[in-house]
Amino acid sequence: MEKKVYFDIKWVVILAIVGFLLIFQVFPLLYLVYRSFFSSGSFSLEGLKRIYSYPLNWLCLKNTIITAGLAMIFGVILAFPLAWLVGRTNLYGKKFFRTLFVTTYMVPPYVGAMAWLRLLNPSVGTLNVFIQNLFHLESTPFNIYSVGGLVWVLTTFYYPYAFITISRAMEKMDPSLEEASRISGASPLKTVFTVTLPLMFPSIVAAALLVFVAAASCYGIPSIIGAPGQIYTVTTRIVDYVYIGSQEGLTDATNLAVFLMAIALIILYISNFVVGKKEYITVSGKSTRPNIVDLGKWRIPITLLVCCFALIVVIIPFFSVVTTSFTVNMGKSLFAPGNLTTKYWHTITSRKSILGSAKNSLISAVWAASLGMVVCLIMAYLLKRTTVRGKQIPDFLITVGSGTPSVVIALALIMTMSGKFGINIYNTMMIMVVAYMIKYMLMGMRTVVSAFSQVSPSLEEAAQISGAGWLRRLKDVLFPLIVPSIVAGWFLIFMPCFYELTMSNLLYSTDTKTLGVELFTYQTYHSQQTASALATAILVVVIVLNVVMDKLTKGKFSI
Amino acid sequence: MKKKLLAATLCAAMTAMTACSGGSSGTSTTAAATTAAATQAAAAETEAAAAEEASGTINPEDVTGKVMIYTSMYEDIIEAMDEKLEEVFPNADIEFFYGGTGTLQSKVAAELDAGKLGCDMLMVAEPAYSLELKEAGVLFPHEFAETDKLLFEYDEEGYWYPVRVCNMVLAYNPEKVSKDSIPNTLEGFATDTSLKGKISMSNPLTSGTAYASIVALLDAYGEDYFASLGQQEVAIESGSVALTKLETGECSEIMILEESVLKKREEEGSLLEVIYPTDGTITIPSTIMIVNDDYNSNANTAACEAIEDWFLSSEGQKYIVSGWMHSVRSDYPDAPYDAIPTKEILENVMPVDWEKCFHEREDIRTMFQENVTVPQ
Repeated sequence: MEKKVYFDIKWVVILAIVGFLLIFQVFPLLYLVYRSFFSSGSFSLEGLKRIYSYPLNWLCLKNTIITAGLAMIFGVILAFPLAWLVGRTNLYGKKFFRTLFVTTYMVPPYVGAMAWLRLLNPSVGTLNVFIQNLFHLESTPFNIYSVGGLVWVLTTFYYPYAFITISRAMEKMDPSLEEASRISGASPLKTVFTVTLPLMFPSIVAAALLVFVAAASCYGIPSIIGAPGQIYTVTTRIVDYVYIGSQEGLTDATNLAVFLMAIALIILYISNFVVGKKEYITVSGKSTRPNIVDLGKWRIPITLLVCCFALIVVIIPFFSVVTTSFTVNMGKSLFAPGNLTTKYWHTITSRKSILGSAKNSLISAVWAASLGMVVCLIMAYLLKRTTVRGKQIPDFLITVGSGTPSVVIALALIMTMSGKFGINIYNTMMIMVVAYMIKYMLMGMRTVVSAFSQVSPSLEEAAQISGAGWLRRLKDVLFPLIVPSIVAGWFLIFMPCFYELTMSNLLYSTDTKTLGVELFTYQTYHSQQTASALATAILVVVIVLNVVMDKLTKGKFSI
Repeated sequence: MKKKLLAATLCAAMTAMTACSGGSSGTSTTAAATTAAATQAAAAETEAAAAEEASGTINPEDVTGKVMIYTSMYEDIIEAMDEKLEEVFPNADIEFFYGGTGTLQSKVAAELDAGKLGCDMLMVAEPAYSLELKEAGVLFPHEFAETDKLLFEYDEEGYWYPVRVCNMVLAYNPEKVSKDSIPNTLEGFATDTSLKGKISMSNPLTSGTAYASIVALLDAYGEDYFASLGQQEVAIESGSVALTKLETGECSEIMILEESVLKKREEEGSLLEVIYPTDGTITIPSTIMIVNDDYNSNANTAACEAIEDWFLSSEGQKYIVSGWMHSVRSDYPDAPYDAIPTKEILENVMPVDWEKCFHEREDIRTMFQENVTVPQ
């Protein structure tokens, strides 16, 4: 290019966002890594050596890779056909199922884990005993406290990440390719395998990455399901170290967290490598119209199969959560005399702070999701539409943030954002928003990046030739084309922030209490029943909001 | 035209962003200024307080300024206490930040790394943690006048005092098992093989009381105790999960804090029962501490001293006892709801060596993990 210096709004925006990431994300995490190498004042690998020479820690690393890996594989295997059935076929009750399949995403994982624990524990699990009596078995068939149990619960909780990502991408796919395949004589199934599946590849990889990172860095599920069966993961170990509450405990926790960050990076690298070699442009200038596959004689059997799946994965555990919130004594049937109560509901509704907390949660989650999506959009643009050297770096940073356990992020922020380095946002809502963004932006980033890679740059080029500036092209061409992905990404960030517990518990102050903090209090100091009541209330509110949004925007903005 | 408009909007947004970041540093300067002012005010107060102390006791009306207390006590109790404190110290602004012991300890550790705590007083964890904070130079010494009334160990120099007492006990569900069919000793809890896979306890790696308990058990029974505990396949999990398992019958017996069971009995009419182990209850006092001016956030130690005295008085102890914990005072008459009298518990306790708790923490934790946590 010529040496012509001109003001380009594009680069100003990109630089502003990069600066934001540098200050609020890179710096705190880097400070932690720095601390772990320089814990004694000078550079040393002693800390790392100590942590990684301990056999239990290796066992935890192994468990994490196995459980998160399997959850990823099963999650994608479940999500792809479900997304295809719901989005591309004449399955009965498609819309209903679509909402149902993302519902597990709206329940805090630790509440769901408790539900599964009650259903499938080996001695008195409700479902276990039911199946045992049904088939006259000698012992109960399932043991939730096993690697299998942990993978099961992780999969049921994290497959919605894959489902949402894949089904949004499917909506944007050009159906003419599938039509071509059908016209050339391929069966619908063959079309799926030879056309749809390969075209969906970037989204599937993005979905897999999300499930893996989420499963590997979550704490609630392994602490409730894994620990009693002596299956420890890296996150449960990290929390063990953190809660020692001493400086060396913090250092040890960081050293272990470095491993999770590294894993997240390797996975991202592999996925970029696999996807990066090919072209996946499916959205071009032509208008797209959903192409519905007729399931024919399979329509009823497949609908029934999907019903069974929904019953087992969604309905039964939720039913368990709801009934728990009305049960006095968990050892007896809900209908035993005097065992049905609404006092837990009374507890959550009579508390003064609950409305304020709900408001705080809503505000901080909306901020985190909105700011997060702005960052994701611009960074995805940088990654997919520019040729700058190092354009992948922001993407890597966002991935590392998500791979880092929540508790480590919160501590890093306390250490760096409470005035020691000139920025003091400690005890404000801002620090929570920043924490949420670091942890959950990846959800938006992957969705948007995979959407970008399916939209042909030729559309923007056409607009540019016609004289549209960068912002205009963004607003009139790119943005409308990827709106479904943006909405999906926004929701993916919003939901976990709304009931976030681990970070909020460390970062809240007296006027920024959130629902997660309330939930934690109920879970630890009141009872499972009160926590279940609050979780049910959250779920109901979110579903109602979703329905209202759906009606108001005529199906445009809902999940 | 439209393009220009958009650009302008974006520019404005960015200016706002820069302004925001500038704003935040601005806030911190103001905060620093406020702190400086507060320090001066506090210094004046300290002088006044010192003058008053010379002449007698401090008048609660004269306690002013802000005090932030980190505590792990039940929130309901804090709410009740907060109202009473407002009545006793009408001119002071006392705030509580509530969190689990582990959460608070890690929050404090991170704050120490940044050089300043967000609080002025701590009511969290057991004496081992107080020893650690005292050694780190975080605490302020306060002279409490009625130390002869205290039933439990306290710091001679006044850096920490016990303020509430938790007891590690056994619990069972009389609707599922009979008391005679299960061990009534902590020793039996680990050795009675009929309980294999049906027992549960808290995590000594994340809970201070659970850690103190394993130190007591180590002194009483040696490392073998933990080898058999490991063979029993004891589940390591939080108290609320364990109580639910006791209710459903998934667990037959659990090692748990007395207060959690008492709370469930009073609030939910639960039938779960406490067994005071015949080989000794593990009694764990929790402490109250004042943060010194190098680390506290409101530089208001004079107020903190008055508040500490109130907590240790019979009136303050009333709230502790209504929170299902035992009083630290020998002259306090009542035990918590449904508990046996404090004196009776103290006749048969399994002692905890707090110095050992503090100094040999790493070794003891590793010992526990190798025997119990690692799959056998």
